[in-house]
Amino acid sequence: MTEERKNYELIPENYEEEMLKRKKASKKSKGKISDSGDVNINSLMDILTILLVFLLKSYATDPINITPTADLELVRSTSLLQPEATVAVTVSKAAIVVDNRPVLVLKDGRVEASQKRGGEDGFFIIPLNRELVDAAERKRRLASVNPSVTFDGVCTIIMDGDTPYRLLTEIMYTAGQAEFQNFKFATISLES
Amino acid sequence: MAKKKRRGVSAMQEINMKPAMNLILILIPLLLTSMEAVRIAVINVSTPQIGPASEATPPDTRPEDRPLKLTIALTNRGITVFARDQVVENSDDPLGPTLPKIEGQEEDADGNMVNAMVYDIDKLREMLVDFKEANPAEENIIITAEPNIKFKDIVTIMDVSREMEDGERRRSLFPQVVLSAGVA
Repeated sequence: MTEERKNYELIPENYEEEMLKRKKASKKSKGKISDSGDVNINSLMDILTILLVFLLKSYATDPINITPTADLELVRSTSLLQPEATVAVTVSKAAIVVDNRPVLVLKDGRVEASQKRGGEDGFFIIPLNRELVDAAERKRRLASVNPSVTFDGVCTIIMDGDTPYRLLTEIMYTAGQAEFQNFKFATISLES
Repeated sequence: MAKKKRRGVSAMQEINMKPAMNLILILIPLLLTSMEAVRIAVINVSTPQIGPASEATPPDTRPEDRPLKLTIALTNRGITVFARDQVVENSDDPLGPTLPKIEGQEEDADGNMVNAMVYDIDKLREMLVDFKEANPAEENIIITAEPNIKFKDIVTIMDVSREMEDGERRRSLFPQVVLSAGVA
């Protein structure tokens, strides 16, 4: 009892005013900093999670992945057709690549005569045909065990804009010999 | 007492987000660098099919009854258009291409616009629209070119022959493209 009284006596006269001030100050600070002194990162987390989901979604939907370089400048087109997951033949200024496997090196945008059946005037590019036959075989084997995959003889050609028509016909002829009859030319879409 | 209890609950609700934040902050730059800045579209093209001999047109058929077989041949001098196995003649120059190259601008290797002779795309578009109006059911077009014609010129011709903008909507012209072997 005596202690209580003592405490009571210690309370200053402007106790109520003091408490009101403290309350106001604590209300102001509540929104900014929590008790432990950590920054509230919930809203930042929300933004980052949305961004992460968006990026993962756009990453997963592209069946072909193209990195434009100085040797591979894609052509712009007004086409709106979406690319599909097919065998991809990439033709840059320097080389021909099938599904990320280098096949042969180009010299001035031409295939060396020794790599073609029939020499300089030939259309049949021997190493490219070998690789495409393998790719078709792989796809067919996959189709035999997985009914959702079918081999439809479609091949995506990712080609540099300066490639001469002659090389294009050679590639299409060679692919035709490996049972690829339909082609998709990859372009940069002008439509947003 | 009641105050103490409330504090305990709020401490329980605050999960330590730091590891998750670290993970997300690493994943975002990784995905951003691997993401494509451009949207890829494709153009469907097929090679000529070898048909049975009975499909060949008898020589005595009237020219207007023959299949259209619209063909565009790109050469260094310009565009030559064939329809029903006949060259669409240029009245100014009967021996030259149907649409000779005109003066215009094109991108050079460094991406700068330079004066050069370019294909007469607008005239070709007009011509193809006329063909489409005369043969609304026809969808095929054969494109061929000289060996040294660049791939980007062929894609430009494909774009023109596929569709045209008619006001706000697009009109399909000849969407089925067949690439044929080069012009001899």
